[in-house]
Amino acid sequence: MPSSLFILAQTVNVTWYLLPLAMIISLVYSASRFELPDRILRRAIWLFLQIIGFMGIVFAVLWVLSYKM
Amino acid sequence: MPIAPDVERKKPWEAGNVFVALILAVLVPGLGHLYQGRIVKGFIYLFGILGLFLWGVKLGEGVVVYNLPEKGLTRKITLHYAAQFGAGLVSYPALWQKQRVAKNNNTMIEVDRTLSANFKGILIESNSDAEAGKLDGVIKLKPESGEYGPETKGTFTGKLDGQPVKLELGGKFFLDRPIAAGFRRTLKIGVTGGIENGRAIIGSIPRPFFDGYGVPPDQDQLQEVTGRLGKQHELALVFTWIAGLLNILAIWDCVQGPAYGFGDEVWPTPKPDEKTDPDKLDPPIPVINATTPV
Repeated sequence: MPSSLFILAQTVNVTWYLLPLAMIISLVYSASRFELPDRILRRAIWLFLQIIGFMGIVFAVLWVLSYKM
Repeated sequence: MPIAPDVERKKPWEAGNVFVALILAVLVPGLGHLYQGRIVKGFIYLFGILGLFLWGVKLGEGVVVYNLPEKGLTRKITLHYAAQFGAGLVSYPALWQKQRVAKNNNTMIEVDRTLSANFKGILIESNSDAEAGKLDGVIKLKPESGEYGPETKGTFTGKLDGQPVKLELGGKFFLDRPIAAGFRRTLKIGVTGGIENGRAIIGSIPRPFFDGYGVPPDQDQLQEVTGRLGKQHELALVFTWIAGLLNILAIWDCVQGPAYGFGDEVWPTPKPDEKTDPDKLDPPIPVINATTPV
């Protein structure tokens, strides 16, 4: 698992762009839902974690399915 | 402090003229909010949406914002550009750059005036195109009358693989069109003097921003950029698409306010008897079927 993560980090470096992209989407979407800054921020953090968590689950499922391939 | 949802509050999205706010929000993400005094949200949209869009342009080396409908199709706006269009002013140059690129815009085989620019490229063998070193410096070219007509001559001063070098230039010359997609303009010219005599240099000089931004690339250029940048170019496109689509949410928020309210409202939970008391429920809708007399 660590070696595959290392390879992922080295070769698929565009994947890291997902983090700022998810952050901006979370922030802008939450800002369009609420008016108060602290509520926007809390909601954005939660949405960001949901997006990253979902992507993490998809990655884990694909990694398990491709085990020893 | 929690507030009941039916309490009357000052709505900042109703401050100022709504049409002015709408136009500003359409042109520049977040500007409508700043006009309404919604500073925090204005900067979230400004830096979030505009930043994402410009980041995409940077990642795609400027070959990102364009409207290039396929020939023969009646649709004049591609979905690609429709998504970018939402980002506002930054996407509008694509509307007129297509006309500019078609007028008096040819590659050059001679310079018509003195040219001085930063140059980045490589030194190559003229007969095999094999790379002989990396060049970084300043190129100066001027038109001269030669034995067989006008020629382009000049010098390159800079570094060859980190070592200072000065090259005399002349002979076969090529310079990309003045108006084309991207912020670099391909240049090729032979080397006529010194130890590098008989070789050539190929590279690029900067293209002015307004001659490169929003210009539709031709197929060769698109193929070169997508081949060189790969997934990074696709990611650049996605960034601009998402930025354009996110600004639609921001425009809506500017005109109508946030979708869920301020965010500190406490909605009363319905009491159990309100749910079950038949007198407090809506009256049932009468069912009319074919046998019911009218």
